[in-house]
Amino acid sequence: MADDIRRWSDELASDPSSLVFLQLGEALRRQNQLDVALKIALRGLERHPKNVEAHDLVARIAVDRRDFARAFDGWEAVLRLDPDHLGAMKGLGYVCFQYGRFADAERYLGEAAARGGGSDVTSALETVRRSGNTVAPATEPNAGDPQWLFADLLVDDGQTALLLDDNGYVLGGLYVDDEGNDLGVEIGAQLSGISDEVVRSARHLDVGTWRSITFETQVAVVAMAPAPGNALLVVAASRTTPLGLLRRLLDRCAERSAQWLAGQAVRGGEAGAGDEGGSA
Amino acid sequence: MSAQFGTLLEGLTRQRGVRASLIVSENDGLVVDSNLRFGQDGDRVAALAASLYRKARRSAEAARLGSVSFLQLDAERGRICAVGGRGDLVIVVVADPSANVGLIRVELLRALESLV
Repeated sequence: MADDIRRWSDELASDPSSLVFLQLGEALRRQNQLDVALKIALRGLERHPKNVEAHDLVARIAVDRRDFARAFDGWEAVLRLDPDHLGAMKGLGYVCFQYGRFADAERYLGEAAARGGGSDVTSALETVRRSGNTVAPATEPNAGDPQWLFADLLVDDGQTALLLDDNGYVLGGLYVDDEGNDLGVEIGAQLSGISDEVVRSARHLDVGTWRSITFETQVAVVAMAPAPGNALLVVAASRTTPLGLLRRLLDRCAERSAQWLAGQAVRGGEAGAGDEGGSA
Repeated sequence: MSAQFGTLLEGLTRQRGVRASLIVSENDGLVVDSNLRFGQDGDRVAALAASLYRKARRSAEAARLGSVSFLQLDAERGRICAVGGRGDLVIVVVADPSANVGLIRVELLRALESLV
């Protein structure tokens, strides 16, 4: 193996556009030299961005490094290039399982099984189904409490969502840190200022109404979107959460916010009507 | 466009749907280098993108989320993506709403690595 690696390295050095990076990267991965393997694979991918196996290699190395976000992106890229790629379906199933996204994991593994994925896929599918069934349904300690507005939508550790008014005050949701402290008020006050800047930028750059802003930080991925009545929705998740999944979560929370705010408006209207009736 | 950043910016602007790519100083919002399509006002884009990135970075730090590495603004008629966090420079891309933001992100992060 060491001889092969040396030979492939020499070959790649003399011809950087050679596809031998695929064998070299895989060999290094198997030897657990993951950082070097990733570097080789990414350089190869740079030269061969449409190469399905290059994306697959990057994803497999990423999984070994527990970098599930990169693995997810890699296998999504594989499926865009080759929608029937079994390895990518299995890989995405695995990554989704790691994130506790059992429905998505089941979908990917189901597709792999339908394409003849074999007994390992069937077995993985059974595990996912068992895991999905054993997850307790999200509980709402007090369904009427705005703090629990998004509780059933936030299924993974580290996911959190807040609905803020135009002053940055919390309307609903929670922002809980690793120790279980609710930082909603502080986070809301700090992040709400971004939306003013966003509105200004969007107006001056003539790109129309803003729909969302997403950013990655050292510890989290955060997405924000405008909500009815000048409210602002903030959704955050752990740094390892793929941005695509975060966006889906943002969409679901946005829908919930709109429904809840509409309900509040109706209740406010009813109360107002009741008051008027009482004072008449 | 200078020779120093020319290749980097050309690589970004070559992505499908990208209208402009710029290297901007986060502190003063001035253009360091740019690759713009006809009709784009680089100074304006630079100033606003730098301001947006700075605001996001400061807010995230104040909220104890750590420094911002990648930022993406989606609007009705366009997208703005930016990466920074190494020194004062921010790389900014303005793109169409239909642009593949995943690819743009990969290219931006790669460009950032080659920048420093």
